[in-house]
Amino acid sequence: MSQSILGIGDYGAVKHPGGEVKTFALGSCVAAILLDPRTKAVGMVHVALPDSSINEAKARQRPGYFADLGLPLLIQEMARLGSPGNGRGLVVKLVGGASIMDHNDTFNIGKRNVLALKKYLWAYGLGPLAEDVGGNHSRTVSVFVDTGKVIVNCPGRGQWEV
Amino acid sequence: MSKVVDREAVRQAIEKLPLFSSAALQLLQVISDPDHELEDVVKIVKFDSALTMRVLKAVNSPVYGLVKEVTSIDRALSYLGERMVVSIAVQENTGPLFSKPLDGYQSEPGGLWRHDLFTAIASREVARYAKGNFDLDLAFTGGLLHDIGKSIFATFWKDASLEALGQIEQGIVSDYLMAEQDLAGLDHTEVGYEMARHWQLPESLQAVILHHHHPAEAIECMQPLVYAVHVGDIVSMMAGCDTGSDGLKYQLDPGYQEFFNLSPNALAEIVLNSEEEFSKAEASLVSQ
Repeated sequence: MSQSILGIGDYGAVKHPGGEVKTFALGSCVAAILLDPRTKAVGMVHVALPDSSINEAKARQRPGYFADLGLPLLIQEMARLGSPGNGRGLVVKLVGGASIMDHNDTFNIGKRNVLALKKYLWAYGLGPLAEDVGGNHSRTVSVFVDTGKVIVNCPGRGQWEV
Repeated sequence: MSKVVDREAVRQAIEKLPLFSSAALQLLQVISDPDHELEDVVKIVKFDSALTMRVLKAVNSPVYGLVKEVTSIDRALSYLGERMVVSIAVQENTGPLFSKPLDGYQSEPGGLWRHDLFTAIASREVARYAKGNFDLDLAFTGGLLHDIGKSIFATFWKDASLEALGQIEQGIVSDYLMAEQDLAGLDHTEVGYEMARHWQLPESLQAVILHHHHPAEAIECMQPLVYAVHVGDIVSMMAGCDTGSDGLKYQLDPGYQEFFNLSPNALAEIVLNSEEEFSKAEASLVSQ
């Protein structure tokens, strides 16, 4: 059993038996999770903002921070483990994108992250098979190679499968 | 209905708290004065050997990657900025309050320190977008102390946390602060305010601690500062740096628009810059 922990803006994929990819406390960030039923590879990117054009230096330094750059990089990472480079056949799940208790759109970065990821997924002909997004709670999420399960944890709410 | 938290027990817990050192208190008073100079801070730190040692250790930590060792407080302060010195002084004077687990909020040990440090940095970033003049480092200090009340309140709140979440889900109360009030008869901001009074912290910091969830209730001259911390607190929760089960379960007061120009892009920059500075600040303070 080995655990790959991703911080904000990190991305990674594994396919060895016992492997797990995990990220903590998503808040308004979103984890895009890719699973390849053929190779058994699983991958994740922890996206914090929808669009990299806001800060070019940061985009070069940590591309996974942004939905527009992070998703293609994760698909490349999956391809390195034997998945199709065009993303075909990958199963997608989205987790996170919470917001504060308010309807002020300025602060709804979570919703904008989810929408941006869906837009870039569509460009690959992909869409989420399942999602656990929105609401007012922070999520920690793990994806496991052996079972392909995506498990979400949340303080005070317990854990569930997506 | 009887309340789950015994007010008298909370009062006694606050009275038992050790006082801030005179150097730390002077430091907080000096930085609360918008007309202070860096030299005023240097003078205070120089006369406190423990604080001097910790400041020098922080500036020479690998995080800053300085080629030559810094041995003078003047140079350390110009590298670190006042805010890091304040962080060190506060951390030293609050001891285990920041590092213990917040049982009532289901937060890990150190969760409160991480949240308050992130909020401090984010509040300072928010203050950059102020429509008027603003003391950025005061916003930082306010952010650093805003949730200190949770360190005492959490111990007494332990059994009511799940009920509070249930009340919010059912729409009985509008946010977590109201749930605390409803179930405990007091909330973490009131407890923090009493702690700040016990420590004789400057009035501006007392106002931040008491009103950070309802900034419009602060007196007018304090409102810009309190709103900066209000928004900084929310940014911290959005970045996933919360204190546990209450994360994101608070209302945003749109009154911040009177004091700050915050577009969606500005907010994204605030998140980005705060996260970057937080990683650096956390690493240099952990290496203490």
